[in-house]
Order: sequence, then structure tokens, then C-alpha cells
Amino acid sequence: MANVAVESTIDESAIDKVDQTIEDSFVQKAVRWVFSAGGITICLTILIAIVASIHKGPYILVNTIITGGMWALMAIGLSLLFSVMNIAGFAHGEYFMAGSLTAYFVMQPIGKYTLDHPESFMAYVGPLIAILVGTFVCAILGVITERLVFKQLRIRNREGWLLNCFLITIGLSVIMQNGHQLIFGADFKGILAYWDFPSVPIFGVYISMDRVCAFFIAVLTMVGFYMFMMFSTAGKTIRAVSQDEEGARMVGISVDAVHIMTFALSCGLAGLAGASLLFMFPSYPTVGVMPLYNSWFIIILVGFGNVAGSIPGGFMIALFQVLTRSYFGEGWEAVVPVLLISLILIFKPSGIFATKVRTVWDQ
Amino acid sequence: MLLEIKSLDSGYGFLQVLWDISLSVDEGEFVALIGPNGAGKSTTLKTISGLLEPQGGEILFAGDSIGGLEGHLVCRKGVAFISEELNLFVNMTVKENLEMGAFTVDDPARQKENLEFVYELFPRLYERENQYAGTLSGGERKMMAIGRGIMSSPRLMLVDEPSLGLAPMLTNEVFKSLRTLNKRGTTILLVEQNVGKTLKTSSRAYILEKGKIVLEGRSEDLANDDHVRKIYLGH
Repeated sequence: MANVAVESTIDESAIDKVDQTIEDSFVQKAVRWVFSAGGITICLTILIAIVASIHKGPYILVNTIITGGMWALMAIGLSLLFSVMNIAGFAHGEYFMAGSLTAYFVMQPIGKYTLDHPESFMAYVGPLIAILVGTFVCAILGVITERLVFKQLRIRNREGWLLNCFLITIGLSVIMQNGHQLIFGADFKGILAYWDFPSVPIFGVYISMDRVCAFFIAVLTMVGFYMFMMFSTAGKTIRAVSQDEEGARMVGISVDAVHIMTFALSCGLAGLAGASLLFMFPSYPTVGVMPLYNSWFIIILVGFGNVAGSIPGGFMIALFQVLTRSYFGEGWEAVVPVLLISLILIFKPSGIFATKVRTVWDQ
Repeated sequence: MLLEIKSLDSGYGFLQVLWDISLSVDEGEFVALIGPNGAGKSTTLKTISGLLEPQGGEILFAGDSIGGLEGHLVCRKGVAFISEELNLFVNMTVKENLEMGAFTVDDPARQKENLEFVYELFPRLYERENQYAGTLSGGERKMMAIGRGIMSSPRLMLVDEPSLGLAPMLTNEVFKSLRTLNKRGTTILLVEQNVGKTLKTSSRAYILEKGKIVLEGRSEDLANDDHVRKIYLGH
């Protein structure tokens, strides 16, 4: 018996040592990741997705992937805002709304033109122009908000910043929703389709061209965003400010400029999501509420300020919604994610990818 | 004079910490600013580097007034500040941190030269090049912060308490690197609590007590001063 006990202690210390070595093999890292909270959740999600698609048909997988990408874009912007500026953005849905509204007004004449000239190149490029203009307008709107509101608050008072910003964004949201209603009316402003082509069959499911394009736009944007953050100097300065504002100032980074950039990026991404999904969500004053909630679900799920985690988070939330819709019915769509979020907040308040948000709160 | 401070007042909001401070640092000098806890040493450095706004007085750097200038602009003028908290970018690798340090340097050749010098000065950083700064040990963090400061090829380097929390061996190493840096032509203004070692390293020193400068002079003279010996050196 004594021998066994000794052996087991040796084993344990050996395992500890393996855990502590810095140079782990790739397989070891992968195994450890799979057994972390994030790994378990992702593996479970993939498993559920596969089982559900076999049970209900592949449209579940297809729908998840298409909407998940857009929610991920929204969440990336929101996450960026939080990690760089410590702003809990509750007006983010309104940039989604502004994006879809702009795209609608740009698309209107383009749609008329292509109706008369169905073979012209505008039928292919026109929708892209509308989406890009929507993105750009939202980026500018974001910069204006930063200059007019958050910069002013920063100069005057930095106490209770988090709570103040929370209240301000809610106020902004109310103003923008009512502004939309006042100027453009409360009716639905939508289009039938961006790209008026026959649907594409994927795994036996017919998917409209718009959805396919929306997916590719989301993926391209995510890849582009990642490259920008990791390899460009501007992206590095954003990361630097989010990790240590004082340190960024000490190496000569203009924190002010980084804030402008962050707002432009973050609101631009929301606008891009709104504009790309105009064919699904026609623009009306409160169109942004649901996307806003979705992106908050994602952020809580993956942990505050975890920008990269928003991408798997987006797909997870989309899967939950698609599943609830097909198993419980349309009305339960918001209930199940909220239940899940509540459970996560109780058992894992820092989100499934346990990240250190120390630098964010320390500012 | 590279740095000249004339009757500077500074502090945090209503709390004034520095009262009528005047000091000057010449090009190529190694000047120390010593004093007890809470005397305002760190506040002085923060005010020079632009993280704090002065409440009165003047700060001249190479003839230009930099008082009240924003931190990133002060850095562009050629002042590097290595703070007590180090302010590293913990989720970036050592190399990325150093690259961010060279943010104000546009010339790639100069960047490369600086990087080589940093790696030569701290071979440990070269070994840990791809490790996240947050995973470094205390001593390595200090080296990292000093290295990041060097990367901007500063004319004046403000160093705040490099010996804080370090083992004596590592402290010696850090002091040695500062001396090497000084010999290479960088002017250094060092804030320290380790008075004995600092007076041996620096050429000139100021003694700050309760927000006022009480003594100044050549380091050897100060080391033999009765007041300094009694209070700081304990013999």
C-alpha cells in the first residue's frame, strides 16, 4: 500500500511538471485547451450542431453559419469599445440601424437602375456600394459621437466612468431611435434582395445569394480585422492602449487618435452588419435592439474585452437561436440564450474563455 | 542644459505634492533624485513626462517648454519615461513591446540598431523574444521596460525606482545597464530609494524631502554629507 501511495505522489508531481514547462508540444497544448472551459463549450457546440443538423436537416448548420458571422462582427465592435475605452456600449444597435438605413437609401436608386438594366455591372457591384457606404457613414457617425460625447466626458470627469458611459449610451440609443422615427418615420424600409439571382443549393438547402454574400462579407471582414489588429502599426497601437493606456502614452502613442480609430472601427463594423443584413432586417427605429442583445449575449458568453473570442461566440449564440427556433418555436428565441447567459454569470462570471480583464479595469 | 525645471509646482487635483522645485540636468549627465517615501520623486518624473499637468512653474527641454504638453508629444521630443509600475503591454510579446517602444522612430535602420543594442544589453530579453511580457519575472520586466525606453532613442531617460522589488544581484545588473546607457550618450535622471548604490553610480544628485529640494551637489560630496549619512545611509 505504501508503495502505491508513493508512486501516485510521484506521478502527480510529474504531471505538475509537465503542466509547468513552457515549451509544450502542440498536441499537449491542444489537449489542455479541449479540457478548458472554452474548449469544452466549443466542442459541445460543434457536437450539438452536428447532431441537430442530422436530426433536423442541414439548414440548421447553414443558418447558424450565416447569421453567426454577422453577430460576431457586432460583438467584435462592442468588445473593442469595451477593451480600449471601457465603454459598455448600449447604443451599438443604433449603428446597426444607421447602417441599414444608409444602405437602404443608397440601394433605392441602384435597385431602380438595375431593374431597367438587369445585365449591367451595377447588379453585381451596386449592393456592395450600398454596404460600403453604410459602413463608412456609421464609422463617421461613431467618430462624431466620440468627439462630441465621450471625449468631452473624458476631459471633464473620469470618476464613475463605466456607469456614466453606460447611461450615456442608453441616452444616445433613445435619441437615435427617436431621431430615426422623427425624420424617416416608423415604417419598414427594406429591400427584397441585394443580389437578385437564383438561390444556390448547398447540402440540399437552397440559400439566397444575399445570404451567401453576407457570409463571405463577414468572413472576409473578420480575417481583415484580425490581420489589421495583429500586424499593422495602427492595430498594434489599439492593442497597446487597451492593455496599458499610460504605457501607450509613454511610448508616444496618441491615445486620442486611438480612441477615434476605435470608435470608427467599432461603429463601422456595426454598420457593416446592419447594411449587409438589410434584406433580412428592414430598417425601422428599433431594428437594432435584437442585434444589440445578441452581441451582449456573445460578450458575456466569451468574457468582457475578449475581442478574438467574439468570433466563436457569435456562432454559438446563432446556433442556440436557430435551435430554439426550430425546436421550441419562434417566440422562445430570446428566452433560451438569456437562460444560458444567466447560468454562465452564476457559474463562470468571467466568461468561458477565462481572460484577464485586469488591464481594462485598472485604467 | 538639456532639462531645466524652474520653480515647479505639481500634484494631484487639490493635493499639491511638489513645491517650488528647481533642478537641471546637463547633456550626458547621470543625475539622481533621492528622498524618502512620499517626497514627490515619482510625481516629479510624471510631471516632466507629461502624464501629470504642472500646476505652476516651467519645464524646459533642450530649450523648448514642455510643461503641460501631452505625454505622447513629450515622448516625441526625446524623453523616455520608465515608470515604477513599468506599464508594459502584458499581452504582447517581448518583441512587440520593443517594437511599440520604437513607435516614434520612423527610420527602420535606426529601429534595428536600437533593437540590437537592447538585445546586447539584455541578452535575457533576446532569449524570451516571443514570450508574452506578462509572463516575465520581476527582473526581466524591469529590463523589458528599460529596453522599451531605449527603443525610442531618447535624449533623456527618466527612470523611476528600478531597484524596487529586485534582488541585490539583479539590482546591480540594472544599475550596470543604466551606466552603460549613460556612457553611450543618453542622459539619465534616476529616482531611487537605494541611496548608497545610487550615489555611487550617479555623478550628481538632488535630495527631495516633503516636496522640496533640500540638498544638491556632486554625489561623492553628498555621500559624505552629515545629513545624508545620518538619515539615508545610517552611519
